[in-house]
Amino acid sequence: MTKVEIRHRLCQVEGYEHRRDICVLMDFDLGAIVPVSFIPLGLRLSAAFHASSTLLLISGCSSPEIPPASTGSAETVVAPAAPDATASISESPGGDVPSTPTPATADRDTADELPPLELEKDELKFGFIKLTDCAPIVVAREKGFFEDEGLQVEVIAQPNWKQLLDNVITGELDGAHMLSGQPIAATIGFGTKAHIITAYTLDLNGNGITVSNAIWDQMVINDSTLDTPTPKHPIPATSLKPIVAEKLSAGEKLQMGMVFPVSTHNYEIRYWLAAAGIHPGMYTSEDIRGFTEAQVELSVTPPPQMPATLESGNISGYCVGEPWNQQAVAKGIGVPVTTNYDIWKNNPEKVFGVTKAWADENPNTHIAVVKALIRAGRWLDETDDDGNLVNRDEACRLLSQPNYVGADFDIIRNSMTGYFYFQKSDKREMPDFNVFFKYHCSYPWYSDGIWFLTQMRRWGQITEARPAEWYHETAKKVYQPEIYLNAAKRLLADGLIDEADVPWSTDGYKPATSDFIDGIEYDAHEPIRYLNSHAIGNKDPEDS
Amino acid sequence: MSESRIEKLKYGLLKAIDVSGFRVLDPVVRLFFGEEPKKQAADVFKYLITPIAFVVLCLAAWTVIAPRHKTRSGEVPTPREVWAAFVVNDTLNDREDEKEADFQLSGEARMAAIARVREQLRVKEAESIQRKAELAVIKDRSEAEIQAALAPLQQAYDELKAKNTTEQDVRSSTIRQLAAAVAARIGSTDQLLTAIRDDNTKTEAEREAEKQIKDALSDVRSVPPKALKAAQLASNAVANEVQHLNKRLDYLESGNRDQKVVAAEQKTAVARQTLDTATTPAAVLAAAKSVVRGEETAARTAEQSYPRTATIWFQVRRSLFTVFVGFTMAAAIAIPVGILCGLNKVVMACLTPIISIFKPVSPVVWLLIFQIVVGAFFPDPESHPLFQFFGSLPLIGGLGVNPALIFSACTVAVCAVWPALVNTALGVSSIDRDHMNVARVLRLGLWTRLFRIIIPSSLPLVFAGLRISLGVGWMVLIAAEALSSSDGLGKFVWDEYQNGSSHSFANIIFACFVVGIIGFILDRIMILMQRSVSFDDGAAVV
Repeated sequence: MTKVEIRHRLCQVEGYEHRRDICVLMDFDLGAIVPVSFIPLGLRLSAAFHASSTLLLISGCSSPEIPPASTGSAETVVAPAAPDATASISESPGGDVPSTPTPATADRDTADELPPLELEKDELKFGFIKLTDCAPIVVAREKGFFEDEGLQVEVIAQPNWKQLLDNVITGELDGAHMLSGQPIAATIGFGTKAHIITAYTLDLNGNGITVSNAIWDQMVINDSTLDTPTPKHPIPATSLKPIVAEKLSAGEKLQMGMVFPVSTHNYEIRYWLAAAGIHPGMYTSEDIRGFTEAQVELSVTPPPQMPATLESGNISGYCVGEPWNQQAVAKGIGVPVTTNYDIWKNNPEKVFGVTKAWADENPNTHIAVVKALIRAGRWLDETDDDGNLVNRDEACRLLSQPNYVGADFDIIRNSMTGYFYFQKSDKREMPDFNVFFKYHCSYPWYSDGIWFLTQMRRWGQITEARPAEWYHETAKKVYQPEIYLNAAKRLLADGLIDEADVPWSTDGYKPATSDFIDGIEYDAHEPIRYLNSHAIGNKDPEDS
Repeated sequence: MSESRIEKLKYGLLKAIDVSGFRVLDPVVRLFFGEEPKKQAADVFKYLITPIAFVVLCLAAWTVIAPRHKTRSGEVPTPREVWAAFVVNDTLNDREDEKEADFQLSGEARMAAIARVREQLRVKEAESIQRKAELAVIKDRSEAEIQAALAPLQQAYDELKAKNTTEQDVRSSTIRQLAAAVAARIGSTDQLLTAIRDDNTKTEAEREAEKQIKDALSDVRSVPPKALKAAQLASNAVANEVQHLNKRLDYLESGNRDQKVVAAEQKTAVARQTLDTATTPAAVLAAAKSVVRGEETAARTAEQSYPRTATIWFQVRRSLFTVFVGFTMAAAIAIPVGILCGLNKVVMACLTPIISIFKPVSPVVWLLIFQIVVGAFFPDPESHPLFQFFGSLPLIGGLGVNPALIFSACTVAVCAVWPALVNTALGVSSIDRDHMNVARVLRLGLWTRLFRIIIPSSLPLVFAGLRISLGVGWMVLIAAEALSSSDGLGKFVWDEYQNGSSHSFANIIFACFVVGIIGFILDRIMILMQRSVSFDDGAAVV
């Protein structure tokens, strides 16, 4: 529908003939003339509000009365998201206004007036990598949450992260289980360039760093406190340092594996090494493998091949998601030394990514998908009165099907049910090893995106210094909480989730935390300061 | 039956056997018709029974040797386990069939199916609980056994460790004393150095001894008792069955297509009522829209198909289709170009460098090239007319033709084109000169010459080339699918490798047999075609 058509239809509706201001607003390209942040807040609010009411009206189901423009609750929720609203309207090329659910609909009071979703597309293909954290997608498919939304979804295993991303970009897949860094990197053009967005974070934690038995034996010799069946955690990389030094003096570099240059795993293993003073190497514009100045060389291996690669001796350790650490324990080829829960407590892990183009074409389908995913996440984290996870066994059974993760049920169950085997003799309770819904984790937090951006800058994947605003803007380009909130509101209206399940009035930034292995504080509001607080890695001038 | 008709039947059979390349059956037929029983019996023994016995012997050797080779992913599967993998994969396929049927059932049949599934579910759930209980018991018992086996080792380790630590402490204090003595200029430097060297060697040896016990410890832990493994498998099998039955119930009840249509229609009916009672224009508009939407949803739901999960037989069908497409492409290029090459020496000279350079290129390289090239042709694969056309075809529609299939087929084509091309060229250029001279004398036109002389006389070699091409194509396809994750047998193998479960190894070997047997059948088909166009009675190369 073009703008002209919209205006035309708008003016036909009884009682709105005089609302020329809406019509004018639609033609007035605010974003193109002044940066959005310069528009006075009041105008932004009313713009967002008008836009939403316009669209509600067009979809034909809004109440004929327009509520006053700035009711208290609406204002607080709308404020952070407003710039996107104006942008999404002004940006729409060639006139097709995407009937996106606008942020103003985040006003919870209008919940029961939400128009039903008209799906643009009902047969979808989603890609995933064989890791247990694809669980929300698998559960939504197998438990019929997608079907409840009227979606027929095919879930297809992908061989590696690169091909998964390429398939999403070419349209072969509608959406996919992605590394948190992937949408960000694609959007800023590190690797394949494409505007990818995410409105749903699939899980927290869930990774581990495993070293080969030989390296573990040497680490134990270097640090005799590790020589018990149940050593104290977290294990820092300090006992690895002499091994690295010895290798270096022999003219070799220790080889370790991670799954993708912009994967959480890459940043986590680098963080872990750097926290102990081992340089994991920098990316530069020439060195896209990230080996510059490296004391340990990190190379890319697809997750399911990690155990085999470790066994063949090409790498001496790796950082990967489950079940591939537990697999190493079960096969007796390596020892998981630490989990990413110990590196950064409750760190964001995977997201559900789609292209911006797809989201613009299929806004309602996107909401429906997110609805199903929220239900799946909630189902996965459901507990009984004693706090035991009740549905995880069933989830493991689903994941162990050969067309999904396909590893043995017992191995998948190890980590998914709140336990983790560090060695055969060392089984520990880790209730938060896989978090799918608790702590409002499925909400797409801007602060998560900013952390990944700081790491990309720290290791030189972002080659030049950027001002702090750039970090905030980029995170907002990728993370789309409006879609999440819209979906959540519908679920709340249907009584499928509780009010407390969703952070309704957040500004998208988690509170500052220093739950890192090295205790450095991360405050997403100040990305540059955080970047400069690390000993190893790029540093930027704070006021640029 | 008259004598001659029996003879006719016999020679008919013999001819069929000969053409299809199953010459080993020849003596069986002759024996059956009573021709020289003694000689035929000897032949049957030599060429049929002996090979069968040999295969059986190989299987026996496999059964014996396989479990002896222990890998990190478990033991090498025996023929029995591979057979079990076949059964499991077939079951997975059947389950998909069942769910699909459930999804489409309606009316009485649906109710009957619900009752049936519920009954099965009741039985299986009870069994599942029982199995789980058994498993728990066995688990506890084996845990106790392991602990019992570990205890003495652990004790030995602790003792050794304690002893070594004391000795190390003693040695290092000695060294410190020596060092102090050297510093005070009363001790000898050599003595100190010797002491340090000695200490290093001893520490090394002690560590080695410790490591041996540690390895023994981890060996005890890493070998799960057979009974536990069996109980786990049994428990998992039943639990999977329960899950499948629950899913079937879903598809029979809320997930059933008919039920979904009914639900959508009910919604529409409600909306219609709202429409009738609505008074304000906006409300009318809203209600009318939801009526239309409800109708659309119902119509769309009625056409929904069950989203099948790829099973082994689906993968086989897709691989066969892909290889067929690739092979057709190869033949379409190889035959005309080969004929040109055979007819004209200049063309041959021009193409020789190209053929020689590209023939040895690995299929993997071709795959990557085509993946990039083909992708560019289909920016929006779903709405591309080619794929929509394939999607609308009856049998092929379900195979999910997509760019991945096209580039896999292209890879097959480019690797399979060379043998066919070279053989065609050879076939054409080795046509009897006399035939060509006769054609010249008769002043036959180009087309007549082509279709009456050149093609017929070069056909046997063309088919020989095509046969090699098909073999190469099938081999290449599996690799291409594995690498590109395009659905097919290659992807099945690759997925199983990635799954790394305890069944994966058996599944891979099972797939190996599937690939081999299909390759064998394809080859036989090509032999049949080759023999049926040959004039001479030359033996088929097996």
